Amino acid sequence: MANLNTDAIKRRTYDAIVIGSGISGGWAAKELTGKGLKTLVLERGREVKHVVDYPTAQLHPWELPNRGQMRSGVNEANPVVSKCYAFGEATEQFFVKDAEHPYVQEKPFDWIRGYQTGGKSLLWARQTQRWSKYDFEGPARDGFAVEWPISYDDLAPWYSYVEKFAGISGNRDGVAALPDGEFLPPHPMNCVEQYFSESMAKTFGGARPIIIGRCAHITQPQPIHLEQGRSKCAHRTLCERGCPLGGYFSSNASTLPWAAKTGKMTLRPHSVVHSIIYDEKKQKAVGVRVIDSNTKETEEFYAKIIFVNAAALNSNLILLNSTSNRFPNGLGNDNGLLGKYIAFHNYRATINANYEGYLDKTTEGRRPNSAYIPRFRNLLKQETDFLRGYASGFSANRGQRDDRNGWGEDLKTGILNPKLNDFWSVGSHMMGETIPKESNYVALDKDQRDPWGIPQLRISVDYDENDVKMTKDFFEQLTEMYTKAGFTNIRTNDSNRTPGLDIHEMGGVRMGKDPKTSLLNEWNQLHHCKNVFVTDGACMTSTATQNPSLTYMAFTARAADYAVKQLKAKNL
Amino acid sequence: MNRRQIVKGMAATMGGLLVLPAWASAWNTASLQGFQSKLSGLEEALLAEIVETIIPETDTPGAKKLEVHRFVEKIITDCYDQKSRTTFAKGLTRVASMATQSYAKPFLSCTPAQRLEVLTTMSKSADADEQNFIRLARSLTIRGYLSSEYVMTKLMGYEMAPGRYLGCVPVKA
Ligand SMILES: Cc1cc2nc3c(=O)[nH]c(=O)nc-3n(C[C@H](O)[C@H](O)[C@H](O)COP(=O)(O)OP(=O)(O)OC[C@H]3O[C@@H](n4cnc5c(N)ncnc54)[C@H](O)[C@@H]3O)c2cc1C
Ligand code: SF4
Repeated sequence: MANLNTDAIKRRTYDAIVIGSGISGGWAAKELTGKGLKTLVLERGREVKHVVDYPTAQLHPWELPNRGQMRSGVNEANPVVSKCYAFGEATEQFFVKDAEHPYVQEKPFDWIRGYQTGGKSLLWARQTQRWSKYDFEGPARDGFAVEWPISYDDLAPWYSYVEKFAGISGNRDGVAALPDGEFLPPHPMNCVEQYFSESMAKTFGGARPIIIGRCAHITQPQPIHLEQGRSKCAHRTLCERGCPLGGYFSSNASTLPWAAKTGKMTLRPHSVVHSIIYDEKKQKAVGVRVIDSNTKETEEFYAKIIFVNAAALNSNLILLNSTSNRFPNGLGNDNGLLGKYIAFHNYRATINANYEGYLDKTTEGRRPNSAYIPRFRNLLKQETDFLRGYASGFSANRGQRDDRNGWGEDLKTGILNPKLNDFWSVGSHMMGETIPKESNYVALDKDQRDPWGIPQLRISVDYDENDVKMTKDFFEQLTEMYTKAGFTNIRTNDSNRTPGLDIHEMGGVRMGKDPKTSLLNEWNQLHHCKNVFVTDGACMTSTATQNPSLTYMAFTARAADYAVKQLKAKNL
Repeated sequence: MNRRQIVKGMAATMGGLLVLPAWASAWNTASLQGFQSKLSGLEEALLAEIVETIIPETDTPGAKKLEVHRFVEKIITDCYDQKSRTTFAKGLTRVASMATQSYAKPFLSCTPAQRLEVLTTMSKSADADEQNFIRLARSLTIRGYLSSEYVMTKLMGYEMAPGRYLGCVPVKA
């Protein structure tokens, strides 16, 4: 009997467990297996295999059952997820539907999730920028949150490391606010974007650069990409359906198959992690408790190290739910700050206008990218009555219009012969840094449970005065820039959209130097449970203005390297 | 050539521009294939002539030949609420009765000019339901026509994988 038991335990024991197979979990799997660790990847959703499980990827518009329109009732039944621009007839299979995975909105919060192998890496918009030293120095300089325990220089080599493998296209712009990376050739800006860039360079003497976006698309495959079985992006711009060419980075196309090739990875779908098991005698985590979503049976798996990569808020949930005598309030939560200091990006503001130049020019083909305005506000020093600043997108399009007024042959001629607009449409959206605050938090609901018996996550996150002031500044500054560039018909819009829809939720398990005021140390280890690493958005001490996923990748690769070294040195 | 092969082929071209693959010339209404019309034969014929009146055959196929009426029925059934579905069903009946009132014959036996007259009269009707029906029928016909394989590939230069973005090209005269 005792023997059987040890055997059973042995069969369930790995060197490492990774919770979640999305962008960060995929990287953890790749790094840990690459260093020889037998790794179990636990994924709550179903398996989605590259190419074969992308049912809509190659459908032409006329082949979609409703040519792109959602069936009646679906949006009404899904008030949260249907707000996401990427949710539609061709992509709905990769999104969590509202009713399937309930949570409690203490304040309105649009929690957009993808529960499957690859997580949200199938769905993301693939914008990838490095943080700069100004971002890491932010909390210390401006006196909010806590000081980051690492600097840009600590992360820079890891940015390089993940960029080379993932494939990031971009231009070497030499912009201090947005360090250059290991770039594949950039997409071009179009004439009006180029014009705006040059016009602003003159107006602001280089203080407000406008550059082409940096994005995870293979514009020129390198041997490392071909080895992954990925090829050049063909500008289909159907990415959210899954790309059969592997033209953009997803866990499914890149890190997971790479990890599988080592023979060291076991990927277990339908495995909802309930909690991490803490052993009081060993004073460390020994494994995880899983609920099989098919059988609803509870099972346990064991390992020496555990990477928590369930995406920011779910990682908070798992740690909060990992209670023991030693940690009655959640794993590593001696200071009571677990789940607090949640922050996000403020995307509520947009500005649009027309430009009547370059009317003899247009564009051809499609581009899965746009131009970008790095943060210029409060960059080198505090200059406004709000903290931090915002980055913005910028894009120009030569739209066209067809004449739909007639009937019969007239109508036919009208719609088959669209005419270019006599202006270019230009627009920007705001990506504002929000300040992490104790009052923005997630917690376990005391009463409500999900279908697996796990407490539902209660989310309480809101804007504050700083966000309102920053939004106003965005309108003022962008209006000034647009005006100086000669754009006309300038329209601003504050959508007041609910936090969450930015899909850049961060924090709750923040990094810091002091165990009294943070949960994780400079290596993403729980201060009080060193063999548990959290390397997704939950670890973020502040949010900066960059799209965050590239930074999660770099943190994950760096932490995995450290974890394996510590393991080998028998420190874990 | 099946799709998997196409993708393999696309991947193999790697560097260069991608050529429009073989499917572009093959006629296909795949997504409508499984759709069972709930209209009677007569109603279906009526709807076909309505979409054909809106976008008729010239030197290129009209909406009827491109099965736009089947698309219109499917999308009304799948994607619109009960109210719009009722408006639509009532509108069809109204087209039929207008034809008999004005020309003492069924819509199907009217000349193209008479059919057009029926639809344009309804589009200016004082009855909101009649106007809404025409607005819906017109916009769905246009959508179904423009998103049909024939129009996209033969007339509008559709490319699934353009393989390029050029940011500043001269406008063709
Ligand atoms: C439409 C859209 C556009 C976006 N655009 C960008 C962009 O341009 N740039 C950018 O940087 N980011 C973008 N993002 C955000 C980006 O997708 C996320 O930052 C990124 O996926 C986070 O990686 P992750 O590993 O933390 O989480 P995910 O990729 O979400 O993966 C988490 C995984 O964990 C699994 N999981 C959760 N709970 C459990 C549990 N209890 N047990 C087991 N498994 C669990 C989930 O099923 C999921 O597979 C976008 C997101 C969306 C949806
Ligand atoms: S734009 Fe590129 S990466 Fe996206 S689906 Fe198309 S080919 Fe794939």
